[in-house]
Amino acid sequence: MEPVLELQDVSMSFGGLKAVDSLSFTVRENEIVSIIGPNGSGKTTTFNLISGLYEPHSGDILLKGESVAGLRPDLVHNKGISRTFQSLRLFTNMSVLENVLVGMHSVTSAGPFASMLRLPSVRREEKAMYDKAQEILGMFPGRFSGPRQHQPAFSLSYANRRRLEIARALASDPVLLLLDEPVAGMNPAESHEVMEQIRMLREKGYTILMIEHDMHVVGGVSDRVIAMDHGVKIAEGTYDEVANDPQVVEAYLGKRAADATA
Amino acid sequence: MSFDHIMSVTIGGLTVGMIYALIALGYTMVYGVLKFINFAHGEVFTVGGYVAAFSLLAMGIDASTPWLKVAGAIALALVAAVTVPMVLGFLIERIAYRPLRGRSRIIPLLSAIGVSIVLQQLIIIIFGPKPVTIPTLALSSASVSFLGVNVRVLALVIIAVSAALMIGLTYLVKSTRIGKAMRATSQDMEAAEMMGIDTNRTIAFTFLVGSALAGIGGLLVVMYYGSLKYDAGFLYGLKAFTAAVLGGIGNIPGAVVGAIVLGMTETYGVSVDLGFLAWFVVAGLVLGLYVQMVRVPNRRLAHIAADRRTPEYERSIMNVYRLTPYHGIKTLLAERTDALLSVSAVDAVRLMAGNIFLAVLAAVMFINSSARIDTRWQPVIAFVVLMVILMFRPSGILGEAVTEKV
Ligand SMILES: Nc1ncnc2c1ncn2[C@@H]1O[C@H](COP(=O)(O)OP(=O)(O)OP(=O)(O)O)[C@@H](O)[C@H]1O
Ligand SMILES: [Mg+2]
Repeated sequence: MEPVLELQDVSMSFGGLKAVDSLSFTVRENEIVSIIGPNGSGKTTTFNLISGLYEPHSGDILLKGESVAGLRPDLVHNKGISRTFQSLRLFTNMSVLENVLVGMHSVTSAGPFASMLRLPSVRREEKAMYDKAQEILGMFPGRFSGPRQHQPAFSLSYANRRRLEIARALASDPVLLLLDEPVAGMNPAESHEVMEQIRMLREKGYTILMIEHDMHVVGGVSDRVIAMDHGVKIAEGTYDEVANDPQVVEAYLGKRAADATA
Repeated sequence: MSFDHIMSVTIGGLTVGMIYALIALGYTMVYGVLKFINFAHGEVFTVGGYVAAFSLLAMGIDASTPWLKVAGAIALALVAAVTVPMVLGFLIERIAYRPLRGRSRIIPLLSAIGVSIVLQQLIIIIFGPKPVTIPTLALSSASVSFLGVNVRVLALVIIAVSAALMIGLTYLVKSTRIGKAMRATSQDMEAAEMMGIDTNRTIAFTFLVGSALAGIGGLLVVMYYGSLKYDAGFLYGLKAFTAAVLGGIGNIPGAVVGAIVLGMTETYGVSVDLGFLAWFVVAGLVLGLYVQMVRVPNRRLAHIAADRRTPEYERSIMNVYRLTPYHGIKTLLAERTDALLSVSAVDAVRLMAGNIFLAVLAAVMFINSSARIDTRWQPVIAFVVLMVILMFRPSGILGEAVTEKV
């Protein structure tokens, strides 16, 4: 399988703190790869590097063989990397539907004049956008139906906001989807539902890199798992391999506890 | 006070208000995306007016020019009054603001004031310090009978054109691709970027639109008043900025509402008898009494913890707001009251003081009912109204665009 994403020795620090330290890994087409690791281990920073918010101090990030390191975030998005946020960042004053439509910005082209004149090309594009948005929102049965699509995003429940973030990220048909803790704060039934949806996305051909603390979800969907601690990759493999790796157990439980269980 | 007079004052106020609105929209849109006040915007308006005036002068039209040629000249002046400010607004953002983005907010603000001064001097250097005056055209002096009142055609044109532009702008921001990008950028610039929006382009576009509207405002002012001074942008800019704050900065319909309220207030203030104006104060008093007696106490009642929610307690809160001699004053004098009651008491005194002030004001105005306020007070009236409204509604009439945080 062709690699979609490739990180090569990527490092990034905040002041003296090495948030990401010589990190290398690959995500291949139609794979689901999960990143796990204790709080502050550099997972979100890795996502921010991939999506262009930060520029790596060294190393390179390749999307389908082409470097995207240090590229402006909107250009990274145009190249096909879309994401969700751990600390929800919906456009809360915009409606559910509008959030999804904004997600299509980079794959649409209507200019201001054409839009104001409502040229046929614009109407066609708007129609296509609307249909596509319905299709995406339809992946979350019963959550965003009918009038709910016109509610402002701030009126949504927490779990629905997380769902809407995924919908918005999918709107541009990304080559690579980055999910930052997609089930954080959800109850077991809700996270199970999201897990099913992630599986469904793989069936549709999406490639997904996901950060998640919920081991049920990580174990349930991942082809491969990468464990990080203090910015360093400490293990990589199948879920079972990584979950039983002594270094990973130690990172989560502390050294003494790890020795005790060994 | 004849109906005719009221009618023509209303149309005059609306005309001025619409011009303020055209300028205010630029302030509010830029504030929406960048969260800072582009103080150079007033000068962009002046430049629009100057460019329009000089285009008309260059084409040598006067009262005797055939109307078709006048129409052509105005169309060309319009093109100039839109494009030059657009280029100017674009360059201001590019040169004076973009390099400073992300710095503390005072820095772009200083830069804006600097640009404003530079532009004003440039206008003097290029066009000279004397006001530019255009010849009286048949169009500028024409009037029609509207609801039985003689009204300047140009006033109706200004109102209609501005209203059309505002509807267009609303559509642009609400429904088009670039409008959604603008709203997304204004809410969370980083997230917008990561969703594929080129925020630099979006911001530049915002400046283009705001500057075009201000330029059209400049053209309309020149045609309406026949002349414009190099420092006109200062007062117009300040009033438009006031209007934007009055309506709720960052809020597009708010800017229009604020501008109309401001234009109406300053026009009514000096053009009608106190006896008539007093009715507005009476309306304010009715609203004030409603706020004091009903709205605020009900909001307070909603905050009472369930275990204290006895009818007596609720009644004493209500009594404080009505300041009935027994309960209200006793609460005020009591050394120790609980937090909610004492907060309510302070609140009630404040509201009541405001209402007494309004009542006295109305009475004084009724007594001097045939007097009028001197025109020199016009700017003062506008700012007093601003301060009073903001005292009671710090976020402006329609409020700042609400952003609910998780
Ligand atoms: N903008 C920033 N400025 C300074 N330090 C930062 C910044 N962002 C993250 N850090 C630090 O970098 C380290 C890694 O943070 P990061 O957010 O990547 O962790 P994480 O693995 O996503 O953790 P969590 O599971 O809590 O989300 C932490 O020590 C954090 O405090
Ligand atoms: Mg994180």
